[in-house]
Amino acid sequence: MSDDAAIPAIEGEPDWQRLHPATLALAIVKLGPRSLNFLPAVAALGFTGNWVYIVPAILAFLLFSLVAAWLHWLRFRFLVGDDEIVIESGVLSRQHRTIPFDRIQDVSIEQGLVSRALGIAKVGFETGAGGKENDADLDAIALDSAQALRTTIRAHRSGEAAPVAADPSDTAPVTADRLLFAMTPRQLLTAGLFNFSLAALAVVGAGMQFFDGLLPFKFNVFNPMDWVDVAEDYGLDQWLLAHRWIAGVGAALSLLLIGFASGVATMFFANWDFRLTREPRTLRRTRGLTTRTDVAVPVKRVQAAILVTGWFRQRFGWHELRLQSLASDGGKERDHQVVPFAKLAAIDPVLAEVVIRRPDAGQSWQHSHRIVALGPIIGAGCALIGGGVALYLGNDVGWLALVAAPLIALIAFWAARYHRWADLDEQIAIRRGWWKPKMTLLPHASVQSVDLKSDFILRPLGLATLVFGVPGGSSLAAHEIPAIPIATARDLRDRILTARARA
Amino acid sequence: MTDTPARPTDPFDPEALNAAEGLDPIDPAYAQVLRVATALNLIPLAIGASVFDYLLIRHVEGPYGLITAAAWLIATVVIISFPSRRVSRWGYKIGEGQLRVARGWLFRTDTIVPFVRVQHIDVGQGPVERWFGLSHLIVHTSGTHNSTVTLPGLPADLAAAMRETIRRHIQTDFA
Repeated sequence: MSDDAAIPAIEGEPDWQRLHPATLALAIVKLGPRSLNFLPAVAALGFTGNWVYIVPAILAFLLFSLVAAWLHWLRFRFLVGDDEIVIESGVLSRQHRTIPFDRIQDVSIEQGLVSRALGIAKVGFETGAGGKENDADLDAIALDSAQALRTTIRAHRSGEAAPVAADPSDTAPVTADRLLFAMTPRQLLTAGLFNFSLAALAVVGAGMQFFDGLLPFKFNVFNPMDWVDVAEDYGLDQWLLAHRWIAGVGAALSLLLIGFASGVATMFFANWDFRLTREPRTLRRTRGLTTRTDVAVPVKRVQAAILVTGWFRQRFGWHELRLQSLASDGGKERDHQVVPFAKLAAIDPVLAEVVIRRPDAGQSWQHSHRIVALGPIIGAGCALIGGGVALYLGNDVGWLALVAAPLIALIAFWAARYHRWADLDEQIAIRRGWWKPKMTLLPHASVQSVDLKSDFILRPLGLATLVFGVPGGSSLAAHEIPAIPIATARDLRDRILTARARA
Repeated sequence: MTDTPARPTDPFDPEALNAAEGLDPIDPAYAQVLRVATALNLIPLAIGASVFDYLLIRHVEGPYGLITAAAWLIATVVIISFPSRRVSRWGYKIGEGQLRVARGWLFRTDTIVPFVRVQHIDVGQGPVERWFGLSHLIVHTSGTHNSTVTLPGLPADLAAAMRETIRRHIQTDFA
């Protein structure tokens, strides 16, 4: 209950601890969005004319939520032992969980805006067990005790595993923490400019569409007719007709401005003060302007490296590096972005840390068969038919489909050329995409299983698709080499499966 | 097998498919298990179609009986003929430190899991499988894709023996 309860007792004295009392304040903040659920009830009270009950009802709701949060806090306790952490939680049904330090792959520390003001942080333990319900977290404890806890766990792990030193990455023992990559505000600005995106505009537009009927004023930003009405009100229509070129340029400029501004803003919020450091056994990444996250990726757990770029930024040599690891990065990302935006020269040292080699410019690549474009082309065909039907029924939107379909088919056919792969002794490199080129570097030793897939279209052409089962990453986007000659596929499969285990 | 022109076998002959790839077939009795499972899925659907026919088509003076007849005909054909075809397209091979499982014809997938990469193994048996003395083997890997590889239609003792073989490898190769 008291403040000193939040200080971890790492002196070996088993002492149950509670979460930081400020967590209750966090619960109040979280009430904001939650109270939206309560809105229909308030509206119902209002419509039925029982206005007097509204204030007591809201108060009761607040009280109930606070009591629930307080009970939850009261019934949550944890104990940091010598080599394990024990967490007990649950108000009615109790849950008792013991996590040995050996099994903790990764300790992440996350701070939202409010948490930073309160000096508390959420600590997540990644056990690699998979599934959200298998991961434990302490939400939230004081920032310094969170850091102390992580140091304890890390010291325990490195103390235990030091004599093994079988991994090639341990040949040169890293003793001091070393900065591998950081982003200056200037780099962030460059990255943000390349991060041009009209997604924010689309979100606002969709929102306006959605709330069209609900807005008190009858004006939709995305309806040109509304703008024409406004212009008429102010006598601007005459001016606009006279200077329609200026108006068009103005509109285009404002679109560009919105796109660049949103790109720069998202880059600054996500990657402010980005630092990637090499610590004895992990790569540690801290970043974020409002929500500050601190994630450690154990080097031995890295399964594959993914280099992403864009068709435009590629011309300037800008790339992004992601590492696929057994431990997932928060809830949203399935791999760890370790370098958000850099030239290859800055990326190579990071790759060297995880013992993955990037193919040089002289690498010869083998191509996938062009049949990989068949899926999008069939899709485009369907769009073409749909557009034709719409036109026949007198809907002008059909033209859109008629124009878009051949374009999609052409791009798919063009992009099929960019599906290529190469076998570099101990790892395979897979490249794909033209609009957003992506190169996956997959060490043979990371591959857990191999599928050789063939279907009624590929088989007559003597082709097969290789799909690799790799730990971590998204289950939706598996690593695959599509449509290669079946004999090559068999050969490659045998070679990969004879590799020794990586971890 | 159109992918190996040197071997002019009938691509529709499932025996040849397995033989050409050097795979062992699974127990033909598994067809009975599949048949029961298919029947349990399709008969309620056929009954539903009959009820729909009885309640609606008869009232709108439609061709009463057409849907009922079609539904039962399709269900019968699917239940009788499809399971044995599907079973004959499963194949497996255990040896050289790896398990190989192939399935399907229209979309054929041929999976290889090295024993070293197996996390844990299940041998399962449903009530219908127990009736025919069969088991299925489930191999778990740590890959996100293919985190479980299932091989059905194994005689119960063979499945247990395979589990022991794989288990020995997991133990010997454990670092």
